[in-house]
Amino acid sequence: MAERDSALDGHLQPGRYGEAADGPGVVFAEIRDIGPWQVAAWPQTLAAVAVRLAALTGAETVPGPLQAVAGPNGTVARIRPLVFWLTHAGEAAVTQAMDIDAETGSALDLSHSRTVIRIEGPRARDLLNRGLPLDLSPDAFPAGAFAATALHQVGVHLHNRGSGYDLFVPRGFALSIWELLRETAAQFGYEVRA
Amino acid sequence: MSGWRLDEGGLIDRSRTIGFGFDGRRYQGHPGDTLASALLAAGVGIVGRSFKYHRPRGVMSAGVEEAGALVTVGAGARRDPNVRATAVELFDGLEAHGQHAWPSVRFDLGAIAGLFSRFIPAGFYYKTFMGPGRGTGAWMLYERAIRRSAGMGAASREPDPDTYETTHAHCDVLVAGSGPAGLEAALAAAEAGLRVIVAEQDFALGGALLWESEPVGENSPADWRSARVEALQRSDRVTCLPRTTVFGLYDGGVAGMLERVTDHLAEPWPDLPRHRLWIVRAKQTIVATGALERTIAFGNNDRPGVMLADAARSYARRFGVAAGRRAVVATDNDSGYRAAIDLARAGIEVAALLDSRERSPEGPAAELKRIGIPVRHGTVPVQAAGRAAVRRLRVGRRTGRQVRAADWIECDLVAVSGGWSPVVHLASHRGSRPVYDDSLAAFMPGPIDEPVHVAGAAAGIWRVEDCVHSGRAAGNIAARALGRSAPEPELPSPGGWSLAIRPVWEVRVDGQGAKRFVDPQNDVTTADIRLAHREGFASAEHLKRYTTLGMAADQGKVGNVIGLAILAEAAGRPIAETGTTTFRPPYTPVTLGTLAGRGCGPHFRPTRRTPMDRWHRQRGAVMTDAGLWQRPWYYPRDGEDLATAYVREARAVRGGVGLCDVSTLGKIAVQGPDAGAFLDRVYVNGFSGLAAGRARYGVMLRDDGIVMDDGTVWRLAETDFFVTTTTANAATVLAWLEELLETRWPELRVCVTAVTEQWAGMAVAGPRARDVLAAVIEEIDLSDAAFPFMAVRDGRVAGAPCRVARLSFSGELAYEVMVPADHGEAMCAALWRAAEPVGGVLYGLEALGALRIEKGHVAGQELDGRTTLDDLGLGGMASSSKPFIGDVLRKRPEFARPDRQRLVGIVPVDRARTLHAGAILCAPEKVAGHGEGWVSSVTFSPELGHWIGLALISGGLEAWRDRIAVAADPVRGSDVEVEIVAPRFVDPEGSRLHG
Repeated sequence: MAERDSALDGHLQPGRYGEAADGPGVVFAEIRDIGPWQVAAWPQTLAAVAVRLAALTGAETVPGPLQAVAGPNGTVARIRPLVFWLTHAGEAAVTQAMDIDAETGSALDLSHSRTVIRIEGPRARDLLNRGLPLDLSPDAFPAGAFAATALHQVGVHLHNRGSGYDLFVPRGFALSIWELLRETAAQFGYEVRA
Repeated sequence: MSGWRLDEGGLIDRSRTIGFGFDGRRYQGHPGDTLASALLAAGVGIVGRSFKYHRPRGVMSAGVEEAGALVTVGAGARRDPNVRATAVELFDGLEAHGQHAWPSVRFDLGAIAGLFSRFIPAGFYYKTFMGPGRGTGAWMLYERAIRRSAGMGAASREPDPDTYETTHAHCDVLVAGSGPAGLEAALAAAEAGLRVIVAEQDFALGGALLWESEPVGENSPADWRSARVEALQRSDRVTCLPRTTVFGLYDGGVAGMLERVTDHLAEPWPDLPRHRLWIVRAKQTIVATGALERTIAFGNNDRPGVMLADAARSYARRFGVAAGRRAVVATDNDSGYRAAIDLARAGIEVAALLDSRERSPEGPAAELKRIGIPVRHGTVPVQAAGRAAVRRLRVGRRTGRQVRAADWIECDLVAVSGGWSPVVHLASHRGSRPVYDDSLAAFMPGPIDEPVHVAGAAAGIWRVEDCVHSGRAAGNIAARALGRSAPEPELPSPGGWSLAIRPVWEVRVDGQGAKRFVDPQNDVTTADIRLAHREGFASAEHLKRYTTLGMAADQGKVGNVIGLAILAEAAGRPIAETGTTTFRPPYTPVTLGTLAGRGCGPHFRPTRRTPMDRWHRQRGAVMTDAGLWQRPWYYPRDGEDLATAYVREARAVRGGVGLCDVSTLGKIAVQGPDAGAFLDRVYVNGFSGLAAGRARYGVMLRDDGIVMDDGTVWRLAETDFFVTTTTANAATVLAWLEELLETRWPELRVCVTAVTEQWAGMAVAGPRARDVLAAVIEEIDLSDAAFPFMAVRDGRVAGAPCRVARLSFSGELAYEVMVPADHGEAMCAALWRAAEPVGGVLYGLEALGALRIEKGHVAGQELDGRTTLDDLGLGGMASSSKPFIGDVLRKRPEFARPDRQRLVGIVPVDRARTLHAGAILCAPEKVAGHGEGWVSSVTFSPELGHWIGLALISGGLEAWRDRIAVAADPVRGSDVEVEIVAPRFVDPEGSRLHG
């Protein structure tokens, strides 16, 4: 298989930036090759598809609306009423998820369509709220929460992993959004990890 | 006025000294000072000049209501005009200047305007220079001079060097203001377990408690404030935001707040924004914004040295500054007594307290007697005297409605309290109409049908302790509304003074001609109000526009109520019936940078890049904007300009092969058992019968029969379609398809998904396209028989899976090769390695446009939301055997009119002439008006060697065959005679694309 490029190739230089006496407020990393792969259900097959995807990932429950559940073989998020995203999944799980008959649902490889920026650190929430009009407090957006929202006019998805956030940015906008995040994060001090 | 720094007291840090400049002179102050307090401490009396008459103005207040001390802060690109010195936190190195004066505010030649003041009353510019016989021309002549002599400071014309940003926040309770009511409300809400944001416009929390002397229960105001602030700051549920103004309340509990992040820093950290816009979504909002003291309109009440009484008190108690050496306090309510007592305790001689009423409140009266301050009942200020500052004050005896001038009192400070106006602005933003309360002589907030609660002085509650109770009650109301356990709220009644206010709006004495100002910032006098009324401006809203009362940065904070009272008196009706103007956001000015946030410069809008963006740039592409996309425009060689490069590129495509990035095309996956039926309904032509592995051109209409978009539909499998749209309409089409599925046909089992970002696409076009593909594409038989026109095949390129369709936008043998986006560069490199040795080129958007115009393909310029299928010559595509969106309304009689503008080609009669898009097509005998049509797209045709164009013209080719039209271009000043021809200039039979 050919090697994959990233929209952020050459733009993520590992290191620490900005002033931060107590360590970086934000830690960035690009997470590659984690999907998403999309599976859509029909109204009559929603429950069956959800159960099937949860089983494929090994998750103990099925995801509710705008919620992700994780298992040893991947994470499944319900991003629209009838649409799921599979991420962090192994090849076997992906292959099985993509193999769905049209009467049950439809499958789509979107794994090149998003650039995933992982955002962690004590000021990650503050940084995200510089652009996202979401209530990211633990009560309103707990670990596992998934949101479809807009950042600087760009439609993005956000996943609270508990230890931080994964921001799914359309590939074509990735560099523009990255530059904005980086400039905004300078006030907190930030670290870019390889 | 001769202020000085008191030996002790105040919340300033006397251990540190900071230097600043004002009008070219150096001064010193202390941390904790405002620019105004430091100037007063330095004895600076004149700080600015007035708007119209260039009268000297000093510090009049101690807050955002300041109307006199308007200054320019900073220099160069950071020059910030019309800043209230009372709201500027002092820092080391601050530079400020007086404004609207020459050579300086101390000696201003512009003051000569005052001599002509009788000729420039309210609205003079409406009538003096505009009238019969003079008209607009005269106004244009005088406007420049009027503008030059009026106005305030000048903003910098340089680009703003600072950054700004927006942030979003959510909370249960937002508290605007941190005085006694705000602090207590926040604490009550926090104690109920709610998330609270406290916004305070000052740099210190506490509001009036920062200078208040009235105890809170058994505590001193300072101790009470400290305890509350510490408690709030300790709580992890409370966010305290000093230097943050709630400037507007909006729908759905949204508040707009401006945080001044670095304005107070001598050396701002460059990574910090200067200002931050907070967009807060609060479930409950508590407005604890306090009240503003009013002045009294007496003669020369704008002289430096005339100040609001509570401001003088604030300077003494908060900043340790005496605003004068000998003061007269003039009041019509109880609060003036507290000011007189505190000024005297601070060491300022109080020559007299003038009370317009005939009695004094008992407690304060005894205190004044003990201190030795004489009280003169039934006495009001008549006229201040002194050229540059107050030197003495003439007082008058009030008898009924009349005032008789009496003696003069030597003084350099006149501290005035004409009553208090609750800050009803934020409540008004939510549609609450202020209600006049006669007993308090103030407009009170009206009822609000939203979770917004007004507390403290903003609700007309004057005593500090009552404000605390009011705040606690508001906090409890908010908590209970959110389902939290909280005590039953006990709301104190408005008011709280021992004796009722006897409002004195204006002091008029026969024979006293000095101006009495209502709105000092806009130089509006009581005479202006009466003049406006005499001229028919009887409504408060009309009065405002005619006189400028309460306009600009002031927003009616100080003078509105006085102006309305005088208008009411002139009209012979109660103030309550006169009403007030509408308060709108922002409460105080907001910098434009704050509203822009980071959305400026390179981030004005997000940039969208194709997967091959870097690859193109490495090969010298000149990029251009196409919507949000960055696309290669052309690839210059050896110093070529655009015109030379694109012609070379287009010729190379027609003569050999070219590669063009088409990743920007909108791409939508349409999947599901009903996908074919769905597309049949959406497109004018049919797709359910399209075989897998085939593609078809399609056009979709809007409901009204107008063309929405065009593109190709690739059938990948029985239930799997891949739809392309124009670059510009990708988002529109996707939203349209989703809307149809969710609202009209929810029974269809179809899923539509944007896959534009998933696929990188390159067009390979030209007679040698097959050769190039053959060199790099694996697993596809490229022969014409195996891979005919409009076929779709899957294969591999550069080790990656690819999807190839034989389509042509250029009219040549051509393919579109798609790979997953992360393999885009590898695909490009492979194709280029095959194309370059055979003379292939990379071609950009300009050549792409030239090729499509030569072929007469329509694009966004023609699909402009006005054209129908028949207008574009595509009527034959419409199926007659199935219904589709737009089919009914496209058959309206209007769309069948023979004179509709239809697509044609144009060529200049003189082949050497250049065509311009946007030109109006006219009949030669009538080159005027809207003409007969317009030119939509033009290019120099590399194939034909002259300019060609596409156009829409009345009646189309049939009406204009063998006729000449004129492409009139009044904007660019050229008219070109053109022949009307068929809109296909190259290979009209289409033989090349089947090659």
